[in-house]
Amino acid sequence: MKPEIERQEMRAFLLGTLDGDQTTQFEERILTEPGVYEELLVVEEELIDQYVAGDLSALEQQQFESHFLITAERQKNLRFGKLLQKYANSHIGLTEAPPVPVQSLSLLRARSRRWAWVGIFAAVVGCAGIIFVRGLVNRREAASVEQAIPRVVVTLLPGSTGTEGSSAQRVIVSPKGGEVKLELELTNPTFRNYKSELFRENKSLQIADELRIEAKGEQHVVPFTVTGEMLSPGDYQVKLSGVLDSGADEFIDNYSFRVIE
Amino acid sequence: MNKNWSLSQEDFDALLDWLDSDREQAGIKYEQIRSSLIKIFTGRGCIDAEELADETINRVTRRIREIQSDFTGDPARYFYGVAKLVYLEYLRRKPPQTPPPPPDSARAELEYRCLEGCIQRLSEEDRDLLLREYGAKGRTQADRRKALAEELGISLNALRIRVYRIRLTLKECIEKCIQGSPL
Repeated sequence: MKPEIERQEMRAFLLGTLDGDQTTQFEERILTEPGVYEELLVVEEELIDQYVAGDLSALEQQQFESHFLITAERQKNLRFGKLLQKYANSHIGLTEAPPVPVQSLSLLRARSRRWAWVGIFAAVVGCAGIIFVRGLVNRREAASVEQAIPRVVVTLLPGSTGTEGSSAQRVIVSPKGGEVKLELELTNPTFRNYKSELFRENKSLQIADELRIEAKGEQHVVPFTVTGEMLSPGDYQVKLSGVLDSGADEFIDNYSFRVIE
Repeated sequence: MNKNWSLSQEDFDALLDWLDSDREQAGIKYEQIRSSLIKIFTGRGCIDAEELADETINRVTRRIREIQSDFTGDPARYFYGVAKLVYLEYLRRKPPQTPPPPPDSARAELEYRCLEGCIQRLSEEDRDLLLREYGAKGRTQADRRKALAEELGISLNALRIRVYRIRLTLKECIEKCIQGSPL
C-alpha cells in the first residue's frame, strides 16, 4: 500500500470513520506489523497538530472532538500540542523574518521617492545591524550551551545479554543531563543505513533511523545519540537493524548497558 | 468469566514461552501486543482501553495451556480474536463515558514552565527545527514540512520521524519535570 493511502487510512481509523471490514483488516495489521503501529503513533501526533493549527475540515474537527478525544491520554497529548504551539507562537520572531508589509512597497510609488529610498537604506542597515548582533549573541549562547551540556561517549559490543547480565557496560550520566553517544560496534557492516531503538523494561524510549556507519580505528560503529535526561539508573537495551533498499528493517543485534549514579 | 482466577507466575511464564522462546524477545512481543490492543480499543471508542487490553491478555493467559497445544500461527491473531469478544461484552455493559476534567490553571502554568525548560535542554538543532515546524504561520503542516525537508536535505519521512522523536523527548521531560515540582 502506498504510504499516502496508508496514512489516510490511519487518519480515518483515528477519527472513527473507517468502515467495518477495513477496520478489521487494519486492526489485524496493528497487531501483526510493528511498523504499522509505529506509523500510527506518528500520524496520531500529526492529527493533533493539525487540529491545533486549525488545518482540519469542519467535519474532521467534529470527528476529532467526538471520537478521537475520548481518552485522558489523548486529551493530555492535545494539551501538549497546544502548549507547543503557544511556545512557538511566542518565539516566532526568533526563527523567521517577518514578511515585508504591503504598505512599505507602496512607499516606492510615493511622490518623495528619495525619502523612500533613504528610509529603505536605513531599514536595511538597521536589519543588518540586528542580524549581526543577534548572530554574535547566538554564537555566544551556542558556545555556552555547548560548554554547559556534557556529552558522554560509550562503545557497546554486540550480543550483550539481557538486563541481568553483570557484564553489561556501565554508563555514568551527568546529573546535568546532556547527551550520551552510544557507539554500537558492528561485526559486519553491510548496510548503507541503520535504525536503532532504545528500550527499558521492553518499553521503547527512542528510535533513530537513517544512521550511518562511522569508522573507529579498525572497527566500525553506528552512532546513536540519546538524551541523558531519559536515562535514569537501570538496565537498557538497544536494538540495531539494517535498513534494506526496500525500506524494510533487518534485525542485526542487541546491545545492553547499565546506567549507574 | 471465572472471577476467582488470578494470574500465576507459571501461567505468565507459559504465555511468554508461547510468544517467543527467547525471554527478552517474548517481553518485547508482549509489550507490542498490549500497546496494539490499547490502540485498537481506543480506536473503537473505549474510554478504558487499558483495562480491556489487560482483560484480553488475562483471558489468553488463563487458557494458555490449551492454546499452546491447539493453536498454530501468529499469537497476535489469537489475541485479536479474544479482543473482539471482550469488546462485544464491553458494549453490553458500556459504562457512561465521562470525560476527565480539564487541568486547573496552576497545573497548566506548571506544564508551560516545564515545556520552556525542556525545550532549552534540546540540542540547538532540534530546538530550531521545532520552532520552524510549529512557528511558521499561514501554511498547512504539509506545506511547512515539505519546505523544511527540502531545506534540510532529508526525506519527508525522515523529518516526520525526527519531529515525532523530539516531541517524545519533550513529553518525557515534561512528565519528569511535573513529577518533580510541587504544585
